[in-house]
Amino acid sequence: MSADTVEQVPLVFTHGKRLAPGVPVSAVVWLGDEAALALGDGSVRFAGMHGERARIDAHHGAILSAARHPDGVSLVSGGDDGRVLRVGGDGTVTELGAFGRDWVGGIDASPRSNLIVAAAGAVVTVWLPGAVRPSHSYAFPSTIGGIALGAKGLRLAVSHYGGAALLYPKSAQSSRFALEWAGSHLACTLSPDCGYLVTATQELGLHGWRLPIGADMAMSGYSAKTRSFSWDRRAKWLATSGDARVVLWPFDGKTGPMGRKPSLTGARGALVTMVAFHPAQDILAVGYADGAVVLAKIDDDNFVLVDEPGGAAVSALAWNDAGTMLAWGDEDGGAGLLDMKVRA
Amino acid sequence: MTKVDTRIPVTVLTGYLGAGKTTLLNRILTENHGRRYAVIVNEFGEIGIDNDLIVDADEEVFEMNNGCICCTVRGDLIRIIEGLMKRRDKFDAIIIETTGLADPAPVAQTFFVDDDVRARSMLDAIVTVVDARHLGLRLADSHEAEEQIAFADVILINKTDLVTPQELEEVRQRVRTINGQARVHETVRCDVPLADVLERGAFDLDRILEIEPDFLGEDDHEHDDSITSVSVRSEVPLDGGRFNTWLRQLVAVQGVDILRLKGIIAFKNDPERFVVQGVHMLLDGDSQRPWKTDEARVSRLVFIGRNLDQAALAEGFRTCVA
Repeated sequence: MSADTVEQVPLVFTHGKRLAPGVPVSAVVWLGDEAALALGDGSVRFAGMHGERARIDAHHGAILSAARHPDGVSLVSGGDDGRVLRVGGDGTVTELGAFGRDWVGGIDASPRSNLIVAAAGAVVTVWLPGAVRPSHSYAFPSTIGGIALGAKGLRLAVSHYGGAALLYPKSAQSSRFALEWAGSHLACTLSPDCGYLVTATQELGLHGWRLPIGADMAMSGYSAKTRSFSWDRRAKWLATSGDARVVLWPFDGKTGPMGRKPSLTGARGALVTMVAFHPAQDILAVGYADGAVVLAKIDDDNFVLVDEPGGAAVSALAWNDAGTMLAWGDEDGGAGLLDMKVRA
Repeated sequence: MTKVDTRIPVTVLTGYLGAGKTTLLNRILTENHGRRYAVIVNEFGEIGIDNDLIVDADEEVFEMNNGCICCTVRGDLIRIIEGLMKRRDKFDAIIIETTGLADPAPVAQTFFVDDDVRARSMLDAIVTVVDARHLGLRLADSHEAEEQIAFADVILINKTDLVTPQELEEVRQRVRTINGQARVHETVRCDVPLADVLERGAFDLDRILEIEPDFLGEDDHEHDDSITSVSVRSEVPLDGGRFNTWLRQLVAVQGVDILRLKGIIAFKNDPERFVVQGVHMLLDGDSQRPWKTDEARVSRLVFIGRNLDQAALAEGFRTCVA
């Protein structure tokens, strides 16, 4: 912590609201001014600055993954009950797919292509725009570590044991660009222009491929697995979790981070578990293993405390589209909202 | 200060198809002990299991890309244990059933290698069920049967009613030769008190102090690559630095052959008991608790593996004396 940090009242007490869902938070998704918290008991809680408005019991087990549905008024969730559900803010629950005893560990959806993708076991399934049943699927030789759609929602990255693959998910007969690298690849992300694919590895650190050639990059030095990626609005920086500071890799220029050092921010003596860039400003929300949430800037050691330490590891963190509200949740069932429009 | 361990205990059930694993599992799940289990079963499970929380494992064995040649882990277990923690209010402990043909090393190594798994759970015991009738046959035709015995903390020699006393004695000898440190129970239908099998924790580690030294590492090898146990001990406290260096070098060179190692070590000028465990090239050690005033500060280390040289290990251990 920098020397000039003064005792500061966490913003959640002056500009926000604490929530207490009481079960681990797997994901948080904004639907307008309301946050939808996807939880470990299979329920989805809809909450705003007035508190929790509705609780929908959706899955029979834990929700493992969730994303905003392209329709903008619901979320798509994947559970350890093997199901993919659409859960509407109005309380409706629709089953989009069921995958037996395979866990649905990854979900992504694009408001631009209107595609939904889900990973269950070693299979990635696609829902074409408007589909309420699976449209087509792609099988892989091992369980999927992570899936991610590009900014336009037209390309899909899939990470797995031994490497990753790039597909065009609109087509059932999509070609596959296979990218090989030894080891187990977990979460993945595509740069907004689809020029880079980056995965988190079991051995800690990141592996990246510069596209279209597939030149390899290794980014090491992490003390824990990277579980959270966030690109800034100009796609210059990739913020990553997994160390005692936010590690930000530069992706400008022709070769991105190759041969360059990362920028570091948000050091306060706890492991960074979640990162989320503000959609319109150079502000980064950071969640830590000790439950704290802060707002940080690149190349600036100062930060603003949003929520104080003392809780469990932050496991979900998201801004609303306008960048006026932030929501977070932790592994022990704590959660909170920040509303930047509120005057103290 | 006493450390409160909030990690979820994990019991691994191994054993050849038909040995009685499922019988034991169903006993664990149906007996009235007030504990709730999450059960991770393999997809080739023998018969139905009745439990609220069952997860299918696909036994995906991955090589770690870390330069350690024998380091393999179960990727599916890493994922499942992390996922189960989202509903950790629903269970008290985890049981992992493996297929009869499974090599236990990747399962055990998962609990050494993955920091997230280590933070959330602890390997309590590997329990191996052995069919008294078919052990000889199994050992002759499969590598895995021998390794399952070698890796075990608890061994059930089951179906003892189907063999003669002499045959049972032979089985007993075979098991003891492979693994001299496990707690062995002889059962008919896995009828062992469950308290002797589940959540043994540090209690069973103390067992290595009870083993008769003469009992281990005898030279009745049938062939060179058979698995044996070797035990070394010292009445004199050890030097921490020298012990660490020696053990690290040992597993770096001989880790492929060392399946498991366990030890309780007394260091000079250290009031705490140091416990060490290892699988192949992976080591994990920690101060466990203060030595009691009436407790003899004896250091003991047990190795289970192939090509173990008792004399060399004893000599190496002796050089660590402070």
